[in-house]
Amino acid sequence: MKNIFLKTTGLIMTGLVIANLFVFISGIVISDEINNFEQKTDNLHKINLTLEKEAANLSSIKFAQSQAKEFSFTNSTAPQYIDQLKFAYR
Amino acid sequence: MKIKFIFLLFIVFYLTIVVRLFFLQVIYSPANKSEYLKTNKLNPIRGRIYDQENQALVLNQNSYQLYVEPKKIEDKDKLLRLLSESLKVEEASISAKLDMSKYWVAIAGGLPQEQKDKIDKLNLKGIGFDYQTKRFYPEASLSAHILGFLGKDNQGEDVGHLGLEGFYDRDLRGLPGFVETERDILGRPILIGVQQRVEAEDGRDLILTIDKNVQEISKNRLLEGLEKYKAKKGCVITADPKTMAILSLVCLPDYDIEKYYLFNENFYKNLAIADLYEPGSVFKPLIVAAALDEKKIKPNDTYNETGQIAVGEYNIKTWNDKYEGKISMTRILEKSSNVGMVYIGEKLGNKKIYNYLEKFGFGQNTGIDLEGEASGYLKPKANWYPIDYATVTFGQGIAITPIQMIRAFASIINGGYLMKPYIVQKIISKNKITEIKPQVERRVVSQMTSEIIRKMLISTVENAEAKWDRPKGFLIGGKTGTAQVPIKGIYDASKTIASFIGFAPANNPRFLTFVILYEPQSSQWGSETAAPLFFEITKDLIVYYGISPSQ
Repeated sequence: MKNIFLKTTGLIMTGLVIANLFVFISGIVISDEINNFEQKTDNLHKINLTLEKEAANLSSIKFAQSQAKEFSFTNSTAPQYIDQLKFAYR
Repeated sequence: MKIKFIFLLFIVFYLTIVVRLFFLQVIYSPANKSEYLKTNKLNPIRGRIYDQENQALVLNQNSYQLYVEPKKIEDKDKLLRLLSESLKVEEASISAKLDMSKYWVAIAGGLPQEQKDKIDKLNLKGIGFDYQTKRFYPEASLSAHILGFLGKDNQGEDVGHLGLEGFYDRDLRGLPGFVETERDILGRPILIGVQQRVEAEDGRDLILTIDKNVQEISKNRLLEGLEKYKAKKGCVITADPKTMAILSLVCLPDYDIEKYYLFNENFYKNLAIADLYEPGSVFKPLIVAAALDEKKIKPNDTYNETGQIAVGEYNIKTWNDKYEGKISMTRILEKSSNVGMVYIGEKLGNKKIYNYLEKFGFGQNTGIDLEGEASGYLKPKANWYPIDYATVTFGQGIAITPIQMIRAFASIINGGYLMKPYIVQKIISKNKITEIKPQVERRVVSQMTSEIIRKMLISTVENAEAKWDRPKGFLIGGKTGTAQVPIKGIYDASKTIASFIGFAPANNPRFLTFVILYEPQSSQWGSETAAPLFFEITKDLIVYYGISPSQ
């Protein structure tokens, strides 16, 4: 009887120690994951702000003006037509 | 004996733990709590500001504050030299901040990501970065006076100043949250410990009535106008006359919104809402509208304009001292006759003149949603002399703001309604969109009066004494103004405020634009400075809005 009791107690104690270890290690793993997710969220937030800034820059008037200048979409001086060619022949 | 010894050992072991726990949790509780219980403030993101087409005017961007922990510095000279190169700041100014007796010293704020990465690569011991956000303006200072800027209060907290940042500071700011977690020695959360998180509520976004393209047109044209007419400063305000939704509001000179701290206070002043001035002849249509509404005059009634008229000890004359004899009420506006206006004022009566000034909202705030508005000054009725009633009919002797002027003018062409001017049309929070509707303050003149005065103002542009390069095929109404500037109670003839207020297309106004130039040097007259500038802006706006010619 005493033997069975000791064995059972031993088994329970061992089980509890293993369970405790499992919970402890799981806790550390999940904590790590939480930490990682927190960092990822922060990074995503920062990337989001950077992308928002880039998108706004691309749709800004300043950018449109610089593009227009690059592709020569600017006001040109009105052409002067020569309708009295005799002056040109002189 | 062995068992007793082991038992005793266990007892001592557990007692040690119990005593230690008692010390940690009861006796040293508050001090030790901070070592494992971390409470962090969750800063809300400040609201963004967009124009009427949802194009960004103000956003937030990543930024960093560089700090130094002096106790951890290995080589002070090297640190100063490298930081000086990276920050482009003199070594001496960094050195002055670096108090070696302290544990933490802030060196520079508002550093962009790229600069932070560059400094990180230097691998300097004893430096670190705190994350912050910073305002970012995709259109630079296009709308500096409208937007205002974000500064710091005494506690170092962000606070909006002037313009929308000041007026809507509470909405834009949001509410901070906090997170309280028990952490282990490596900073990881302890799951069975305290975990409490109250999310921050981000600031509300603002959608404006401003159209950034109209703003750009106004600013470019005003800049050209200031150079061409050699004016000291100037403003252009464009609004929808039916609602008084402001489409653009530009005053120059303005300031670099990113480096506002480099400018003195004079540059922050938004002339359009905070500058008191005497409006001059642009004021005349208001008095004419009042007289029409009271049925004291009709457009075709005549007045015999024979010469100067005396009011008390003062003589009132026309701008060129020329007189046309019998002229109609419409002609009084066309040639901007001061003596004709005194006649209309007399027909209206002093009591009614004062009542209409109040009805048009002079002497009161317009309530525009921008911080820094001045209310103007309408002196008490008891202090008005006969000369005051005479001069006010042509816009002298009364101090108003440009925003009051455009609001009053809108009321006489929109069917008679005095509207509250506004710039924000939507406030967007996480769960709610609040729309701000146009607000009628009161009815000032009747629909009929409004239609008559609109026609008179079209005739004023068509038959004005000056001939302008107007967009062909479009009906435009408006009025010039040249106000003398009082300096220490005396009008200085060489200093004027030239203005033009006009609307197009005149039969169903899509926009109302008010142009003011302060002390133009090329000509003192509104008809030769502000009016041509108005027509340049109008041509651009007609193209921008795709308005078809009506004639």
